[in-house]
This record gives sequence, structure tokens and C-alpha cells, in this order.
Amino acid sequence: MRSLGREFILIAFLVCTGMAFSLVTGRSPLPWAAPEIGPGEIQLIDAKALDLIWIDSRTAEEFASAHIPDAILLNEENWDTGLINLMEAWLSIPRPMVVYCADESCGTSKKIAERLREALPEAEVYTLKGGWESWE
Amino acid sequence: MGMNQSLIIISLIARLVLVGVFVTAALPKIQDPVAFGQSIVAYRLIEGDLVAWTALALPWLELVCALGLLTPWIRKASATWIATLLIVFITLHVSAWARGLDIDCGCFGASDENGTNYSLSILRNVALLAAVSFLIWLDFVRKNPLKLKT
Repeated sequence: MRSLGREFILIAFLVCTGMAFSLVTGRSPLPWAAPEIGPGEIQLIDAKALDLIWIDSRTAEEFASAHIPDAILLNEENWDTGLINLMEAWLSIPRPMVVYCADESCGTSKKIAERLREALPEAEVYTLKGGWESWE
Repeated sequence: MGMNQSLIIISLIARLVLVGVFVTAALPKIQDPVAFGQSIVAYRLIEGDLVAWTALALPWLELVCALGLLTPWIRKASATWIATLLIVFITLHVSAWARGLDIDCGCFGASDENGTNYSLSILRNVALLAAVSFLIWLDFVRKNPLKLKT
């Protein structure tokens, strides 16, 4: 029994060495340095794992130059048109929605997410931590 | 060929199969822990820092235990860990299947394919669990030879 305990300790030591190697060589991000998530926010790593509707709340010009595949343009300027497009996508397959704007500092995604939560109380709406910049 | 010789050959084959499968599973995850983290998130059971720690530690545990099956100093504990991991994996697959999740299982790192053939994954893990259980049993009876005779 004591020898089995020693074996477990040796395995733990080897695993820790491997983890240290991954961290030192930069293969793995630092788990304790994960960005803090505010209420209603979602990280890109989590969002990518889900089947969801992307909503681009940047300007039409920024959307035209590049956007997340299948994202729907929805901002204050084109609210009605964008909302119709969004409803079509959501009613066909109800999924969580993630709104993004340009970067961490922009507040557009939060405003649009808030409006969406009021317009569609049953919908699951998040904002993307870091915005378009994190996708890039 | 005596019974003992047959057992030695079967145990060697079982050991090599387990080592091959677990090393093949661990290396891509060690190479890309972020992608493996996305596979973990898809199960919707853990989130936040715990995902990052699991994505960092689990592949190394798989690799160390796989190679440990061939190393006399840590052979028993490695087999015990591998059996535990396989039970966890089977439970996770059954849980994801029951919840209707159409996800990449992340078993051999993140793949481009969508969805997992749950029945095949569960069957594979059950077969591996049988193999490692056989190795644990064999270690036990070698230590207690009377158990083999009776």
C-alpha cells in the first residue's frame, strides 16, 4: 500500500513537471491569468464551443470589411432591418446570441445586448469579451 | 504454451494497446491545450479557470500514465489512474449523449469533424477499461499467487 502511495506521488511529480514545461514554453496560457468575466459576458474560447448566433454591432463599413462568419449586422442605425434578420435566424433554430463590437473598450455591444434582452426576454444574450479584436 | 506464458503475452498486448491509444490521445492535447479547452467547454459541465487547469493537466496525466504502464516503478498507480480516467470518460460520453450534445469529444485533441459517434467512443473506452482491469487483476494475482490457483 505504501509503495502504491509512492507511485502516486511520483506520477504527480511527473505531471507537474509536464505542466511546468507547457507553461514555460508558452504552449499553454496561464490558467490563473484568465480574464475576469463580467455579468452577461462570454469569452471567445467558450463561445467558439457553442452553436450560437453572432451579432455584429459595429458600423456597416466595419462589418463590410470583415466580420465573424455568419454574423448578423445589428446596431442602432439599422435596428429594424437587423432585428428582422436576427429573428429569422433565431426562430428557425433558437440558439444563444453573442453580440460583439470593436474591442474591450467599446460599449456598443452591451447597449445592443441590453436592447435585445428587452425585445426578446426569452433569448439568451451575451456580449463577447474583448470584442472583434479577440476574434482577430 | 502454458497458462502463465499466455497471460504474459496477453498482458503485453493489452499494455502496448493502452500505451498506444493514450500517447496518441495525449500528444495533440499537449501541443494545443487551448483547442482541447474548447472541447472541454463543449461538455457544459465545468467553466472558467477549471477548464484551463484541466486542459493543462489532463494530457500530461494521460501521457505519464501511458508510459508508466511500461515503467516498473509506477506501473500499478498508472493502471489505476488509467482505469479511473476511462470510467470518467465513459460517464462524460453517456452524459453528453443523454443531453443530445452534438460535440467533438476531444478524445484525441480537437478535430475538424463535427459530432462524435458516442456508441463507438463508449465501446472503445469499455474495451480499454477491460484491458486495464485485466492488467490490474494480473498484478494482484502475481502478488497473491494463491488467488490464481483457486
